[in-house]
Amino acid sequence: MADQNFKSEPNRIQYLNEQKAQGRYLLGVFPALYPREILWALNILPVEIWDPPGTAVLANKHLQPYICPIVRNGLELILRGETDIVDGFLFPHTCDSLQNLASIVNDHLELNKPVFSFYHPKMPYTAATQKFYRAQLEILINQLTSIFSPIDTDRLTECLRLSHEIGRQLNKIFKLQRTNQLSFSNSEYYPILRQGEFLWPEDYLKLLNEITAGETIPSKPDTAIVLSGILPNPVEILSLLDKLNVKVAADDLLNNQRRFYLPQSKFSNPLDALTEAYLKRPPCSTIGTPISERLNHLIKLAIGSKAKGVVFLIPKFCEPELFDLPQLKQGLQKAGISSLVIETELNCGLTGQLTTRLEAFIEMLGN
Amino acid sequence: MKDVGAPALIGLRELTRKKRSRSQSQLFGPPLECTNRLKEIMTRHYYLARFATGAKPVAWVTSGAPVELLRSFGFYTIYPENHGALVGAKKQGAAMCSIAESAGYSPDLCSYARIDLAHTLSGKTPTGRLPKPDLLFASNNICQTITYWFKAISYHYNIPLILFDTPYNYTELAQTDINYMVEQLQQMIPILEQASERKFNNSKFAEIVGRARETSLTWGAILATMRNSPAPMTIFETFFHLAPIVSLRGLPVAHDYYQILLTELEERVRDGIGATSREVKRLMWDNIAIWYKVRDHSIQFAEQGMNFVTATYTNAWAETTQHLDINNPFESMAKTYSLVILNNNLDYRLKLMQRLIQEYQVDGLVIHSARSCKPYSVGQYDIKRKLYQELKIPAVIIDGDITDERAYSDEQTKTRLDAFFEILGN
Repeated sequence: MADQNFKSEPNRIQYLNEQKAQGRYLLGVFPALYPREILWALNILPVEIWDPPGTAVLANKHLQPYICPIVRNGLELILRGETDIVDGFLFPHTCDSLQNLASIVNDHLELNKPVFSFYHPKMPYTAATQKFYRAQLEILINQLTSIFSPIDTDRLTECLRLSHEIGRQLNKIFKLQRTNQLSFSNSEYYPILRQGEFLWPEDYLKLLNEITAGETIPSKPDTAIVLSGILPNPVEILSLLDKLNVKVAADDLLNNQRRFYLPQSKFSNPLDALTEAYLKRPPCSTIGTPISERLNHLIKLAIGSKAKGVVFLIPKFCEPELFDLPQLKQGLQKAGISSLVIETELNCGLTGQLTTRLEAFIEMLGN
Repeated sequence: MKDVGAPALIGLRELTRKKRSRSQSQLFGPPLECTNRLKEIMTRHYYLARFATGAKPVAWVTSGAPVELLRSFGFYTIYPENHGALVGAKKQGAAMCSIAESAGYSPDLCSYARIDLAHTLSGKTPTGRLPKPDLLFASNNICQTITYWFKAISYHYNIPLILFDTPYNYTELAQTDINYMVEQLQQMIPILEQASERKFNNSKFAEIVGRARETSLTWGAILATMRNSPAPMTIFETFFHLAPIVSLRGLPVAHDYYQILLTELEERVRDGIGATSREVKRLMWDNIAIWYKVRDHSIQFAEQGMNFVTATYTNAWAETTQHLDINNPFESMAKTYSLVILNNNLDYRLKLMQRLIQEYQVDGLVIHSARSCKPYSVGQYDIKRKLYQELKIPAVIIDGDITDERAYSDEQTKTRLDAFFEILGN
């Protein structure tokens, strides 16, 4: 695993310009759950907007101070004109704040770009859920094809295969990490994994294949944890985990393993397969998974990865996660698994207090 | 659309026991006679709730849920949002919230939810006792928060949660969405039959739907009396008279009560009796009330000769329930509950507010930016700007919270209101 190429992220803007030059459309996509395979099949590259850098200033004209930084920083990016490269936006229905942000962008900003939305059903599911979700996929296709390319069914089938393969490779990477066969540190491999937020699927899969096909160098066993919450930000937390000899052996982050799940399907129709995948996706606060299901999933992840604890990384004001946490923590504790909640602004670096909390938690896990 | 409810009314009565001073009393018209009747109705409802366990199936319901379906199975319904409003009106919000916070719930979460979780964890409530639920019945047409909150309650009590999932109207309500909602309602029937041990009775259901429609239309007529000048009621009073349309919708008592209230208001209009002694300026309120400040606000604005004559909040129960149709109950319920203000995009909300401003001859707007309620609050800054650009309606934003008084500053609010009064006075 000495190849350094995939350790350095390509210049995002340059990459996106190259994609445009190849005739691809770009869609700025806000978190979190959307059928990216459909976008790929329409020759649309989803460029996900999770945690753009910078301090929000312009967004404060539209948003109250108690709104989460994902929403605030995303809006700031648009208002600064840094999304001019994209041909439109897509807002999945993730939470109240993103829901209303979609409306602010669509109804009030006058961007002269199409704004799409995608409503996905919430749990507990009923017999009506499957039909509705499939209908939502068709509606999205119709909306996108009315502005962008027509859909090619064969390409959609191929995109499902790519997506499945990406998920398989990501699982493999975590397995290698879990079994100490990957020489990457946390601060090295998360940025690699996150390139999936803007790479064309073939490019991303190539990157993942290079990682998994490379020579494995056994690393020394470290303390293992599960990382849960929304996304690995502030990134300095990953470096601190490295410094403390802690590896992330399993991932339950919304922007990572909670999303990349497309099992082999019994359905030959790609829309049926996508519907099946949605209904079977891992537990998630944003779709309303019951606490017991999510708790069992986390316990299973921790036991399966021999993790000693769970660290939740939560952006400030994130209601879906904040509501789940007390009962999850209690349930984990009953199962003998320690947990720590880190609730921060995005891109805020490490404070002394945060460092001390994380160090103390890891020290406690070692005892 | 979040609920005010009965306990809030009781809370108001508690608060009004603090007699207004002579000078304050001169600010207002004579009190509504039927308020005592309202108090009787709601007190009885909450008194009976204490004995509901075992006698009737008990459901905890969100303010935007299609309660008509539950009523047809004989459920006794409790509205946790009401409970939150009552706690807030009694100025016990911060104390209750801190109980939930000590159990790990973030102070940034909805304070109605924190109060409900505090009650669930500690049993504490100013109402005496709330019956333990047999099931939870929620709709996310008012917010997604409700699904996270009720999920936590469901886990705590280990009871089923039924969710009426109402796709958000980013643009217009689509037939696919209506079909999805109709199917959900129909699929709830066997679950409710099992939970209540009663068979579904279609004619009884249609009767309840019809009564809910009539009650809603009457509520709309009540609000419409406030188009008159002087308005016979203030919006602060409607916050409390809203209780039956929320908590008792579909029951005869709610319909009967509103007939009495409407008659009294029509008499006041005929006799030229206003809710405030001086109505120089007419205002609109946006968002849920600041429950611990209702009394202070009513005096503060009346002193300036300003009366609130409409609110996006109280209007929510008049605006869509009229779609209910006994000949097509399921589809009409889907439309009714999907089209509520908070399940619609901001452009829809802007147009609704423009209509209310014109119909009620509004001179100014007070916007409550409520930390608890993100779907109501996100977008308010843009709406404020647009309303001024298009209608030249001045507006002020008050930062606060619905029940957690720690999120409210008297000084900051006073400064903002003084500037607002000055603008409106010129």
